[in-house]
Amino acid sequence: MSSFPPYVLLLWAGSALAQLIVLVLLVPKGKFRKLPFFAAYIALGLCQVAFLVGLYSAPELAKDTIRNLAWYSECITLAAQALATTEILKVTLRPYQGIWGLAWRTLALTSTVVLLLVAMATRGSWDGEKWFEINRGYHLTFATAVIVCLLLIRYYSIQVPAAYKMILAGFCFYSCTEILINTVLQALLKTSFYAYQPIWQSSTMLSFIVALSIWAAALWQPFPVEARPRTPPSDSIHQRLSPEINERLRELNEKLLRLWKMEARPQ
Amino acid sequence: MSFPLLLLFGFAVLLLVLLGWVLRAPTRLAKSPADPALADEADRRNVTYFPQVKQALAADDFAFLASRGLPLLARRVRKERRRIALAYLESLRNDFLKLWGLARVIASLSPEVGVAQEVARLRLGLTFALRYEMVRITFLLGLAPLPALGSLSEVVGRLAIRLEATMRDLGERSALAAQLASSLDGRGLDTP
Repeated sequence: MSSFPPYVLLLWAGSALAQLIVLVLLVPKGKFRKLPFFAAYIALGLCQVAFLVGLYSAPELAKDTIRNLAWYSECITLAAQALATTEILKVTLRPYQGIWGLAWRTLALTSTVVLLLVAMATRGSWDGEKWFEINRGYHLTFATAVIVCLLLIRYYSIQVPAAYKMILAGFCFYSCTEILINTVLQALLKTSFYAYQPIWQSSTMLSFIVALSIWAAALWQPFPVEARPRTPPSDSIHQRLSPEINERLRELNEKLLRLWKMEARPQ
Repeated sequence: MSFPLLLLFGFAVLLLVLLGWVLRAPTRLAKSPADPALADEADRRNVTYFPQVKQALAADDFAFLASRGLPLLARRVRKERRRIALAYLESLRNDFLKLWGLARVIASLSPEVGVAQEVARLRLGLTFALRYEMVRITFLLGLAPLPALGSLSEVVGRLAIRLEATMRDLGERSALAAQLASSLDGRGLDTP
């Protein structure tokens, strides 16, 4: 731990505190029950901080071992991040079965394409920077997938509760800044990243704190009330939606039929 | 900075810009009139006025005015009619946007959304946007592209037909679901 400059340690402490605040904000009104994966992601983040403090404080471990163990822990939190985001998207799109079906297929396709592009772009340049490349590749795929999903949501004019929108925005912002930081540092510092670890640590930590602030602001907002009764899904959905859809369709149908009659009428 | 890194940097910036745009509140493209009767009337008017616009842009009137030795009047008439044609074009676009919006609402309510259908509609939208801009620019340059205007009207008409079929299908499915639900509520008993 003593190898890090004080400002990095300060940022580290700041990030731990911010995570703790977000975790506390998840407790009232059972918000953690609505987004269990998001709560787990924040909790895992806190555990990761504790793990890293222990890891960097252990003098008997080799540098390579510390580095690999630190990155393994990052893999776990990144997987939790993906799960938390999917959870929010699923909760948002649950009433729109068709759009959700379209969204996950689009996500799968986009992610595969981006992963292939990343693999092609980073082929052969993995020596010593493997973890950074993997990290950047992940964030690139993640951010693209979330943006594509948000574009779909906007295209179909689906209302996303403000709190969920802000959480997604926080994730996306964090991933985009990670890509930017990794790319700029790689370009400007040329030589190995490890010589400049404090700069990388502080910049990524700073962007994570910004993301945590966005999430804290999101958790101040009220969460949407669960309107769906917990009865067998298909019947209850139809019972609830059918009259609404019929009413709307009747209205639309009438309008369009009128328009169509006008169009078909001989001049 | 090497080219791949520059590309990555640009892509990340693009993603951030897209994020900002996506999170922005959507703006309404067309103002809806407060009076529903007026809205209905507007719906009725826009698509059906192609023959009149076609007549207004026909070369015969201008040739007649020019042959009578009234070139100034001919020019003025041409300018006025071009303005009318541009207004028609704008209303045609509004019609298309409205229908497109309706199609999206239908898709979002549908329990199954076909990728092919959605892609086809997106392509239709892009085609319309491209044609619209081409026709508008040609009008602004002082030419009258009647065939192109006709094909734009056709695109709107075709979309209306497809939408009608989709809505009928959805309506039938919803009616069936409602019927099923009510028969389940009545435990299979027919009530008057």
